[in-house]
Amino acid sequence: MVNQLEIRNLHARIVDGETILNGVNLIVPKGQIHAIMGPNGAGKSTLGKIIAGDPSYEITKGDILMDGESILEMEADERARKGLFLAFQYPVEVPGVSNANFLRLALQAKQGGEVNMMEFYGKLQKALKTLEWDESILTRYLNDGFSGGEKKRNEIMHMMVLEPTYAIMDETDSGLDIDALKVVAKGVNAMRGPNFGALLITHYQRLLNYIVPDAVHVMIDGRIVTSGGPELALRLEEQGYDWVKELAATAS
Amino acid sequence: MELTSTLSRDLILQVSSKLGEPDWLRAKRLLAWETFARLPYPTPRTEEWKYTDITEVPFEELSLELPTGQPRAIPQAVQDRLAQAQLSGYAVFVGADLVHVELPEALREQGVILCSLHEAMARHPRLVEENLFRAVNWSDLVGTQQNRPENSKIPALNAALFTHGVFLYIPRNVEFSKPIGVFKYLEGGQLSASRTLIVGDVNSQAVYIEEYISPAKVAPSVNTSSTEIIVGDGAKVRHAHIQLLGQGFYHFHRQRAHLQRDAALNDLVVNMGASLSRAEVQSEMLGPGSSSEMLGLYFTTGLEHVDHYTLQHHVADHAYSDVLYKGAAKDQSRTVYAGLIKVEPGAQKTDAYQTNRNLLLSADARSDSVPQLEIGANDVKCSHGSSTAPVAPEELFYLMSRGLPRHMAQQILVKGHMTDVLTRIPIEPLRQYIESIIEEKVRV
Repeated sequence: MVNQLEIRNLHARIVDGETILNGVNLIVPKGQIHAIMGPNGAGKSTLGKIIAGDPSYEITKGDILMDGESILEMEADERARKGLFLAFQYPVEVPGVSNANFLRLALQAKQGGEVNMMEFYGKLQKALKTLEWDESILTRYLNDGFSGGEKKRNEIMHMMVLEPTYAIMDETDSGLDIDALKVVAKGVNAMRGPNFGALLITHYQRLLNYIVPDAVHVMIDGRIVTSGGPELALRLEEQGYDWVKELAATAS
Repeated sequence: MELTSTLSRDLILQVSSKLGEPDWLRAKRLLAWETFARLPYPTPRTEEWKYTDITEVPFEELSLELPTGQPRAIPQAVQDRLAQAQLSGYAVFVGADLVHVELPEALREQGVILCSLHEAMARHPRLVEENLFRAVNWSDLVGTQQNRPENSKIPALNAALFTHGVFLYIPRNVEFSKPIGVFKYLEGGQLSASRTLIVGDVNSQAVYIEEYISPAKVAPSVNTSSTEIIVGDGAKVRHAHIQLLGQGFYHFHRQRAHLQRDAALNDLVVNMGASLSRAEVQSEMLGPGSSSEMLGLYFTTGLEHVDHYTLQHHVADHAYSDVLYKGAAKDQSRTVYAGLIKVEPGAQKTDAYQTNRNLLLSADARSDSVPQLEIGANDVKCSHGSSTAPVAPEELFYLMSRGLPRHMAQQILVKGHMTDVLTRIPIEPLRQYIESIIEEKVRV
C-alpha cells in the first residue's frame, strides 16, 4: 500500500463556473506535515475543500488518491470515514446539537457502531487538556456563538478526537492571536506521528514557527509552482510572492 | 339504531338524539347545519385558501364516525405514548369512543373535571352551555378584512356533526403543572368530528396535551377538530395540539383561545402527519395584561401539504402575543403559513410579534409565507418577519465532512432550525418525543 495522500494533475472548477485548479500535483506522505502557501485567490482553500469532497466544485481532470485508492467518486462523509479531515476556515454554526454530542455522532459514524463512552470521554479530556480548554465548550451548541478563535480551536479538538489519517487545515491560523496560535500548534503537534499526515493551508509564515513543516509548497493560479523545505516559507515572508509569480509566468 | 351515513339535517337530528343531547345543543347543531348547507367550500380563489386546494377532499363521501359503545382496548401506539409521556391524568379515544379516562384523586378532590363532552353536559350542564361554541362556533370569521364566508364551511360541519369531545375544567385557584394528555386514535376511512373545551377558571393553572394518532396509512379519511380554550382572569393554560396522523388523512383544526384579564396561554401546534392538514390557531386578547405565546412546528415529506393560519387579535390594551412558527419541507411537499396581528383601536400598549421561518430540504419542496399586520392603535410595538431558505450547502458539507451520512446531517440541520421553538417547550418528555418524530421523518 502506498502510504500517502496524492493529488495528481488535478483540474477543477466551480460547478458550471470559473476554473480554479489548473493541474495540481502534490504528495503528502503519511507521517509528514506539509504547508501550502500562496497569495489570495491562488486556489489553496479550494484545493482543501475539493480534497474533502465539497460538491460545489467539479473535477474536470486528474485524481485524488488516499493510500493508493481514488476517492473522487466518494461523498464527503465517506471520505471522512476513510480517515480524511478538513479543519474549516469558517466552521458552520449549528444550534440544537451540543459540541460533544455531535462529536460522538461523528465518531460513531466513523467506527460504524456505538462509541465506548469511557473511551470517548478520555479522548475529549485529553484534547481539552492539550488545547488548554475547559469542559464548558462541550455542552454548548456546535460553534453556536463561538468566537473566531474558539471556532478554530474547536476544529482542532474535533481533529484530535476523530484521529484522521490525513488532515487538511484551511487557514486555521488566520485571525488567531499569538497565544491561541500556540495552543492550536500544540494540538497539531500532538497529532504528529507515523500514522498522521497533514496539509496546512496558510497565508503566513508565522504558524510555521510553531508547526515546523517537512515541506512547503507554493501555489499560484491553481498550480504548485515551487516546493522546498521550511526555509522557503521564510523567503516568502521576506520577499513576498512576486518572484514566485515570475517563476510561474516563465514556467507557463 | 342504524344511522344513515349521508350528511343531512336528518342525520344531525339522529346523532343528537342518539347522544341524548339537550334541546339547546340540538338547536345549535341545526343552525350550524344551515350555515354549512348554505356555504360553498373554500377554493384556491378564497384568499385564505390561496395555497391549499381542498377540492379533492371527500367531505361528503365518507360515513360519519359514530360512537360504537363497544369496549375497546387501548391501541399499542397510545400505550407507547402513555409509557413515555409522564402525565398526571389522561383520556383515550378510539374513534368516537372514550375508552379510558383517568384523573388523579388529588385533582378530582379539588374539583378538576376531565371527561367526555357529553358526560359533562349531563353532569355539569351550566358549565358546558355557557362555554361550548363560545370561542369557536359555526359562523365566526377568521379575522382578515378579505375574510369570506366560506371560511366557516368546515367549522360549521364540525359544529353540526361532532360526535365526541373532551371537557376539561380547572376550578378557581387550582393549579397543576404535570400535563393531562388526551389521545385520539383514529382508525381512518371515515369522517371524524370532535371538539375540545378547556375552561381555566380565575387564577387556575393547567397543562394539557392533545395528540392525534392513526395507523401509518389509511383509506381517505377526514378529521375535523375544534378546540376552545377559555382562560379566565389571572389563569394560565399551557396547551399543545400534536397531529401525527397517517397518510390518507385530511386534517382540519380550528382553535381559538379567549384570554381574560392577565390570563396567559402557552400554545404549541405540531403538525407532522396527514396527507393534508390545516390548522387555524387564534388567540383573542380580551383582557388587559393577557399574554399569548403561540409556537408551531411542522415538517412535511413526500407529497404532504400543511397549512397554518395564526391570528393574534388584540382587543384589550397592555397585552402581549408572540407567534413563532418554524417548519421544514422535504421531497415534493409543501408548507403554507399565513398569520395576522390585528390590533383594535382600543388596544394601546400592545406588544405583538410574529415570526415564520421555513427550511427547504429539496429543490422540489415549497413554502409559502404570508405575514400580515393590521394595526388600529397608535401606541403599540409590533413586528413580523418571515423567511424561506434552502439548506445551505456549506452547512451540509461541513457536517458530512465529519463523517455523518447525509440523512443524519439533515436531521441535525432540521433540529437546529427548530431549536428556538424546541427549547421553549418546557415539557421534557414532549420535547423528546417531537425530536424523535423529526429524526424519523428525515430518515424516511
